[in-house]
Amino acid sequence: MSKSVDDKKDVIIETRNLSKVYKDFWGRPKVNALESLDLEVRRGEIFGLLGPNGSGKSTTIKLILGLLFPTSGQALVFDKDASDVSKNERIGYLPEESYLYKFLNAEETLDFYGRLFNMSAGRRKQRVRDLIKLIDIEWAKRRQLKEYSKGMTRRIGLAQALINDPELIVLDEPTTGLDPIGTREMKDLIVRLRDQGKTILMCSHLLADVQDVCDRIAILHQGELKEMGAVENLLSVRDITQIQAKGLSDDAQQQIRKIIEGDQADLVSMENPTTTLEDLFLSIVRDSKARPGYNRKRERDQDGSSEAETASAEASDKS
Amino acid sequence: MVIDPSEFIPFGEWLANAVGGFVVLALVMFVAWTVIAFAFTAIRNTPKQAVSIVGGGLKRAIIEDFPRSSLRRIIGMTRLAVQEAIRNKVLIIFALFVVLLLFAGWFLDVQNDHPARLYLGFVISTSTYLLLALAMFVSAFSLPNDIKNKTIYTITTKPVRAHEIFLGRVLGFGLVGTILLILMAAVSYAFVVRGLDHKHTIETASIEWDEETGLGTGYTSVDSHHRHDFLINRNLTGDGAVGIAEVAQGHSHAIFREGDNYVLGPPTGDLLARVPVYGNLRFLDRYGRESEDGGDGGLSVGKEWTYREYIEGNTLNTAIWTFDNLSAEMFNSGAGGEEGTLPLELNLRVFRTTKGDIEGKVRGEILLVNPEKTLPPAERYSAPIPFEAEEFQTFQVDIDYSEIRRQNPSTAELEKINLFRDLVVNGKLEVHVRCRDHAQFFGMAQADLYIRAPEGSFEMNFIKCYLGIWMQLVLVTLFGVFFSTFLNGIVAMVATLSIVVMGISSGFIGEVQSGDAPGGGPIESLIRNITQQGATVDLDMGETATSVIQAMDKFYLNTMESVANLAPDFPKFNMASKVAYGYDIQLDLILKQITTTLVYFFVLLFAGYFVISSREIAA
Repeated sequence: MSKSVDDKKDVIIETRNLSKVYKDFWGRPKVNALESLDLEVRRGEIFGLLGPNGSGKSTTIKLILGLLFPTSGQALVFDKDASDVSKNERIGYLPEESYLYKFLNAEETLDFYGRLFNMSAGRRKQRVRDLIKLIDIEWAKRRQLKEYSKGMTRRIGLAQALINDPELIVLDEPTTGLDPIGTREMKDLIVRLRDQGKTILMCSHLLADVQDVCDRIAILHQGELKEMGAVENLLSVRDITQIQAKGLSDDAQQQIRKIIEGDQADLVSMENPTTTLEDLFLSIVRDSKARPGYNRKRERDQDGSSEAETASAEASDKS
Repeated sequence: MVIDPSEFIPFGEWLANAVGGFVVLALVMFVAWTVIAFAFTAIRNTPKQAVSIVGGGLKRAIIEDFPRSSLRRIIGMTRLAVQEAIRNKVLIIFALFVVLLLFAGWFLDVQNDHPARLYLGFVISTSTYLLLALAMFVSAFSLPNDIKNKTIYTITTKPVRAHEIFLGRVLGFGLVGTILLILMAAVSYAFVVRGLDHKHTIETASIEWDEETGLGTGYTSVDSHHRHDFLINRNLTGDGAVGIAEVAQGHSHAIFREGDNYVLGPPTGDLLARVPVYGNLRFLDRYGRESEDGGDGGLSVGKEWTYREYIEGNTLNTAIWTFDNLSAEMFNSGAGGEEGTLPLELNLRVFRTTKGDIEGKVRGEILLVNPEKTLPPAERYSAPIPFEAEEFQTFQVDIDYSEIRRQNPSTAELEKINLFRDLVVNGKLEVHVRCRDHAQFFGMAQADLYIRAPEGSFEMNFIKCYLGIWMQLVLVTLFGVFFSTFLNGIVAMVATLSIVVMGISSGFIGEVQSGDAPGGGPIESLIRNITQQGATVDLDMGETATSVIQAMDKFYLNTMESVANLAPDFPKFNMASKVAYGYDIQLDLILKQITTTLVYFFVLLFAGYFVISSREIAA
C-alpha cells in the first residue's frame, strides 16, 4: 500500500488516454495529432520525447502545460489537471523558439518572470544575478533582447525557465541554436539539474543529445506512441551476444566458441550489443505501418498472456 | 447650453435606478460568455467536455483564481504593458499634439466672438480624439501580437491567472494614457491661458469726460483682433478698479489708475466655472392652470426640437422653477439674508410673432414666490421684477435683497420683505417667469434659469473635464483589451470602434428604432434615397414589399439598439462644452461617470477572464 502511494508521489507527469484532434471552424476533424497517449514521467528522471515532425511531441508538451485542451483523456502534472494554473508554480518551461519580449533586456526579462512567480524583490534580485552568471551573459545583461544572437536568446530563455527553481523543467528542443560548446554545456546542465533532483521532460530532434542525457524516452510517430522505456533497454540488440576478450592466443581464438573458460582467458564482457538511437528511430519511422503502437503492443502482450493463463487454467482443470 | 435632463437626477436616485441596468448588463455578458464558450468548446471538443470545461472554469474562477490574485504579478504585467507601449513609441502622440498646438493659429478663427470656448473646445477635443485613438490601437493589438508571436506561452505557463493578464494590460495602457493625458492637460492649459492673455492700452484721445459726473468713456487699442469700449470714474481713488471695459470676445478688463494714466488689467470673465443651482421646471398654461389641474403646460411653437417649451406673452402662461435647499449662507449674504443679492442667470429663447422693432428686447418679469400654497396669494408673491431678453443672450438678473417688495393687500402699498424669512420655506423657493409683451414668446428648458452660487475654480473644472476624458480612455482600453482576448488585432480594433460609435449614437439609434426619426431603418432609408422618396411620406413600394422591408429593418434596429444599450454612453463623459461655456461640472455627474466606469471595469474584467481561461492559447 505504502509503496503504491510512494509510486504515486513519484509520478510527476501522467497522461491517461490523452488524445488531441485538431478541428476546423465547423468542428470537423482535421488532424489526429495525438492518440491515446499513456505515459508517466517520474521524479528525478530525464524523459525524452522523440519523433519526426508532426508526430505529436509539441502537442503533448502543450497539453501537459495547459496551452491546449485535450479532446479526450487527461494530463496530470503534480497530480493536478493540466489546466490548473497553480501547477505552474513548480514548472519551468523553455519553448522551442525564444518567445521573449524583445524590448526588454536580460535583467528586465528575468525580473518580469520572477514577478510572475510572486517572488519578493530581494529574492528576484538574487535569482536574476545567479542566473545571469549561470548562463554567462553578464556582459550583455543590459542590452535589449532584440540585439541578442540566437544562442544568447536561447540561454536567456533557459534562465527564465529556471527563475522559480522549478521541480519540473519542460524543455522543447533545448539545444536548438546553440554552438557545439553551448550544446555540451546545455547537456551538462540538464544532467546537473537531474542530479539536483529535478525532473526533466524534453523533446528534441537531435537524437545524439537525447541518447546522451535521457534516462527514458518515448518515441512518437503520427500521434501514436511507438516505443517507451529506458534508453539502454531500447537500444539493446537482444538476439545477438557480443563477447569481448583480451590476450587470447590464436588457437584459443579458434576454439573460443567451445572453450572460453578452458583457455584461462579473462572474459571482459559478454552482452547484447546496442544499436544507435538513430538506427532505432529510423527503423520505427520506416516500419511505422507494420509496427503496432506501444499501447497496442502492450494490449496484444496482455491478451497473449491472458490467453496463456486461460489455456494453462483449462489444462489444470482437465488434469 | 443644452443639458441632458438626466443630469438633473441626483446621484443617489440615479444609482437606485441604474442598479437594475447594471445587473442586466452583467447578466447579459455572463450569459453571452457561457453560451459562446460552451458552443465553441463543444465544437472543438465534445458537448460533455464543454460542460466540464465551462463548468470547471466557473468553479475555478470563484474558488481559486480570483482569491489567489497577486498584486506583484499584476504589477509585473502592468509594467510590461507600460514598457511595451513606451518602447513602441506611443509618446509620439504627445509630440503630435504639441505640433498641432504650435500650428493651431493657422486654422483657429482668431476673430471668434468667444475665443475661450474655441480654444478650450479645440484642446479638449484634440486630446480626446488622439488619446482614444491611441487607446484603441494599443489595447486591441497587444494581446493578439503576444499570441501571434507566442510570447504569451511564457506567460500562461507561469502561475498567472487570466484576469491578471487582462488587468495588467488595462492598467498598463491606462497608466500610459494617464501620463499622456496629464501632459496634454498641462500643455492645453498653458496654451489656453497664454492664448487668451493679452493687453490693451487706453486710446487717450478717445476719452470723453462728463465734467459733472466725472465719468469718462472711450475705447482701447486693438489687440488680439478686438478692442473694448470702456467707462472710467475719475472720482474714484485708491488701488481698486476705477473703471471697466465692456465685454468683447467673451471677456472684460478692469481699469486701474497708474499715476496720471489709466491701465487695463488682465482679461476677466472668459475662464469661468459658474456654479448653477438648478430648480425643477413646470408650467402654468395661459389661464394660470397647473398641468395637474388640466392645464396645457408649456407651448410648442412648431419647432422640431422639443428641448424647450414656450410661454406666451401677456397671459398667465408662466414658467415656474422650484429650488430646494437654499440658504442665506449659500450666497454670502449673512445668516439673516439682509444684505446681498440673489444672482439669477437666464438663457431664454425669444420667439416673435409680430413685426415691429425686431432688434428690440422682449420684456419679461420675475416673481419670487413662497411655495406654501395654503398661504393667501398676497403673502406668497413678491412684486414683479422686470427684465428684458433677446435672442441667444445669457443674461444675469441680480435681485438685491433690499429691493424685494410685496404688495400689502390692505394698503396696496409695496412693503419691503426678507427673502429668506418671508419667501423661502424649508429651503424651498419658487421663481416664476412671465413674458409681458403680447404675441411674443419665451422658450425655456430646465437648465435655462439657475441661481449662481459662488464661482468655482476654473482650474478644478478643467481637471474634472480631463477626468471625464480619462474615464473614456479607460472604457476604450477595457473594450479594446476585452475584444483582443478573442479577436485578432484589426478586428478587435474595429469592434472597439463600433462600441464607441454605438455609444455615441445610441440616442439616434433609439430614435430611429422608435420611429421618432423619420425615414425608417437603414434598408428603408436606402431605398428612399435610391428612389428619391421623401423621409416623411409613406414608402411607396407596395404593401408586401414595404412590410418585408420594415420587418427586416425592425429586426436590425432592435439588434442594434440592444447592442447600443450595452455600450457606454460616451457623450455623457464629454464635458468639454461645460468647461468651454464656463459651467462647473457637478460632483453628482462625476460620481455617475465613475460608477459607470467601475461597472464596465468589473463586467469586462470577468468577461475577459472567462474568455482567456476558456481559450486554447496554442490552438
